Amino acid sequence: MSTGTERTALLDAVEDFVVAAPAARQAAFAAALKRLSSELDARPTEGVEAIRRAIRRLADPALDYNDAQKLLRLHRRSIAACARDAADAPLRFAILGNVTTTPLAGFVELFLFAGGIEAEFVETEYGAMDQQILDPASALRAARPSFVWLACDRRELTHVPDARDDEAAAARAVDDELFVWVARWKTLHDALGCQIVQNDFTPPPWRTLGNHELRQPGSPARFVRELNRALRANAPEYVTIHDVEWLANRAGHERWEAGRYYHLAKLPCMPDALVDYAHSAASLIAAHRGKAKKCLVLDLDGTLWGGIVAEEGLGGIRLGQGDADSEAFSAFQRYVLALRERGVILAVCSANDDAVARAPFQEHPETVLHMDDFACFVANWNDKATNVRAIAEQLDIGLDAMVFLDDTPAERSLVRRCVPDVVVPEIDGDPLGSIAILERNRFFQVVSLAPEDGRRTEMYRANAERVQARQVAPSLDAFLKSLDMVACIAPIGEGNLQRAAQLINKSNQFNLTGRRRSAAELRAAADEDGWLTLTMSLTDRFGDNGLISALLARADERVLTIDTWVMSCRVLRRGAEEQLMNHLIERARAADFEVLRGEYVPSEKNGMVAELYPKLGFASMSAPTDGVQLFELGLDEGWTPRPTRVREVNA
Amino acid sequence: MRDVLNEVQAVFRDVFGDDELVIGRATSADDLDDWNSIANIGLFVAIERAFGVKLATAEMAQLTRERQTVGDLVDLLERKLAASG
Repeated sequence: MSTGTERTALLDAVEDFVVAAPAARQAAFAAALKRLSSELDARPTEGVEAIRRAIRRLADPALDYNDAQKLLRLHRRSIAACARDAADAPLRFAILGNVTTTPLAGFVELFLFAGGIEAEFVETEYGAMDQQILDPASALRAARPSFVWLACDRRELTHVPDARDDEAAAARAVDDELFVWVARWKTLHDALGCQIVQNDFTPPPWRTLGNHELRQPGSPARFVRELNRALRANAPEYVTIHDVEWLANRAGHERWEAGRYYHLAKLPCMPDALVDYAHSAASLIAAHRGKAKKCLVLDLDGTLWGGIVAEEGLGGIRLGQGDADSEAFSAFQRYVLALRERGVILAVCSANDDAVARAPFQEHPETVLHMDDFACFVANWNDKATNVRAIAEQLDIGLDAMVFLDDTPAERSLVRRCVPDVVVPEIDGDPLGSIAILERNRFFQVVSLAPEDGRRTEMYRANAERVQARQVAPSLDAFLKSLDMVACIAPIGEGNLQRAAQLINKSNQFNLTGRRRSAAELRAAADEDGWLTLTMSLTDRFGDNGLISALLARADERVLTIDTWVMSCRVLRRGAEEQLMNHLIERARAADFEVLRGEYVPSEKNGMVAELYPKLGFASMSAPTDGVQLFELGLDEGWTPRPTRVREVNA
Repeated sequence: MRDVLNEVQAVFRDVFGDDELVIGRATSADDLDDWNSIANIGLFVAIERAFGVKLATAEMAQLTRERQTVGDLVDLLERKLAASG
């Protein structure tokens, strides 16, 4: 990955599109595509990184149908011309339902690529949803996709009540319909172990009962509403309900409803809306794969309040009640706070004196955000590209997990060029516009919420304090001892399943094999004899770190192999990994295993654990084969636990 | 008088991503490899936008039947443009 300042004619053309005023957008897009096309013609193997980056930046959910098709064509050409990232097998996804899948699948693939996932669409027979699901010999079953999107709409409902039905009959219809969908989910999941994206349903854009429609138990709109509620209430963790009704509401039912295009070509919505529809579905798959953004980096003057605090003073900045502008900034702060409360990490990156930048959060009577809402606060006179990198380092998160929000065009341009992995959306200084841009791009898509999510900023900040404590502690050991760490090690079970899945799918650095597991797969492993699963939760004197590690090991005769091991980077180098290994070895010895085997699959990001197994006393067995490096530890000889400062308590 | 055929050609060039594409009244789906049912979606979207007209379901259906030519599309557009003044 390139790290220096990026400047090529191609990326300049892309930048022109990104910053273009609405009236100039179409022309700038055409110019950028032309550049991209000639780049592909001229030197398909050079500048691969610039080509990939250009496609990622051009893939905007607001593109119109034909522009998105053109970009998709060039994306396909680039895949043919540039080798794929060999490290990852492409993610396979299928789309079922009575819709034309070709354009939809293409757009999903494009947006997944833009989100950092190489994906491959599994073609299945048009329309034959139930045959595909039920027939063990179907193309769907054979291809074993890891995601199946049931892209259905109301025309595929089979238990629609009569409009004159009473409450009881309408409720039975909802039940009967629900049963059909639950059965499809279960069959699919039992056969494929896949994650399912299930559309909810949108009522027709007409109301034959007029304004009375929702009062009537058997009306189409009422039925769809009750059914959507029932689907959500009954969806198991391997099913994500895709809120298509919201998409239709946002677009407006008249603009959403395909009408002509449905009857002509079985398009589920108007062609232009199809781009955003695909983006929405792709964002769910990407979030499942841990590719949602984690951190929002915020500028202050002009972004979180109006005016410049260093010049206008606390009383001069526009924030709070009084005028429209000030109220809009308050509204934006409330939106940002809500993101924080559900797990997005907040950071500040401001060109200011530190004390001046902090003052509004400490002293302004109407500030919504306070200092403890930020995991990291950087206000100085370094350039923002340097500061953004420093924030990533302090928080120990990847640059590609960050979104940088700044009302100054030059700062955005600088960060886009110098730290190209960070996403930098164009905003215009209207705080409500910033909300719209963040929403439209679905940067922080959510597929499930764990109790830890709300405390993430707190945990990251506590970590920053721990880093400081380490600097003053006389020795590392004394520091670790002073942390007063208590670990609870327990198998994977219902109570920690979601969090374990989240950790496995989000961890990139302390991740020995990079294997991703859905909650459903984890549940299966937890119930199976051949698997041993462990999780570790850790508290220390600064607070509760929550569940910080998960490990899956599979048994094969007398050999126990660690198939998956991830740990939160917040707790690295504190002895937690040694303690978990001590625990595992004791369990393995007690169960009469003779050999404990560790696997390491190198990736771009997990270099930090390349030497983990040797450090834990394992012997390297071989040169890597198929990208897997094997390590072994004999369990029969004398063994003493490695000393740690982590105290273990029983679950 | 608008040169509708020429404007339609510009739309075809844009949608099919081929700046040198030349079409005539007799051109049909048989002559263009990429002109399939999926391409029709993009063509109709672009035609409606370029000419500021709305194609009725029946007109779209008619245009996707076999042996329909660019000439049929041009005639339809000329009729619609004349009707809308």
